Amino acid sequence: METVRLLKEHEFPPELQKYFEGTKAWFNIDYIPKMTKVLAYHPEMSSTHGRCSRRAMVDGALKRCQKEMIAVAVSAINACNY
Amino acid sequence: MAHTAAGKLQGYPEDGYWYEAAYVYGITNGINAVADGLRIPLDFSNEPARKPLVQLVEPEAASEGVREIYKDIMAFYQVERVPNLFKVLAHDEGYLRDYWGAVRFVFEDRHLDRLTKEAVALAASLAAKSDYGTDLHLREVRRLGLSEKGILEVIQVVQLFSCYTKIADGLQLAPDFTELLHTSK
Repeated sequence: METVRLLKEHEFPPELQKYFEGTKAWFNIDYIPKMTKVLAYHPEMSSTHGRCSRRAMVDGALKRCQKEMIAVAVSAINACNY
Repeated sequence: MAHTAAGKLQGYPEDGYWYEAAYVYGITNGINAVADGLRIPLDFSNEPARKPLVQLVEPEAASEGVREIYKDIMAFYQVERVPNLFKVLAHDEGYLRDYWGAVRFVFEDRHLDRLTKEAVALAASLAAKSDYGTDLHLREVRRLGLSEKGILEVIQVVQLFSCYTKIADGLQLAPDFTELLHTSK
């Protein structure tokens, strides 16, 4: 169980809606992932770290699917179930 | 879990890809644990020099069977000298033969190509702070044609997700991509 209360979508400032919609489109889902909510608790964090994340995960020398697989490997090594 | 789901949506839809990736980071972690724990000298950039805590089986002292396995290992990695970790395993020829068989099976082209597997292994090594694995797999991704830009991309993903995983663990976030994961192929 989370050690913090994750805010509901309507509790975030309206200016984050564009960021949330972008995240839903990025993952092709219709809800906001918990990690997105965590980062959005402080919008400065979601904007800076979020941009780093998008920049790093788009197709480049490696395709996005390869990068997602690398992310899974890192998560496994770090023993993170999320 | 979130990124297995994302990866399934983005180009690796079948479980076969994910089994193979799991084999790659599992085997890599096993090799790295032993190599770093025993301070096995790095194969390509042994600075600062490491002195192994166990004796290595050099080719001239190896049995004919071990030398045959060494030849296969050197051909697979296209190197003149067998990587040092295998010289530890060579104290038990049967174990070396089977373990090398597993390593070779896991890293050969199948669902995933060898370069992708080496990139996964590099990431697993960086995440585990393994000098031995980072040295070996950095050499391998370069040999197999990954550009410096591609290597930087691996580094970025490792950095980002080493951050995300700690945030998720610290706040005890439960997975929220489970349903999506199991509705993928």
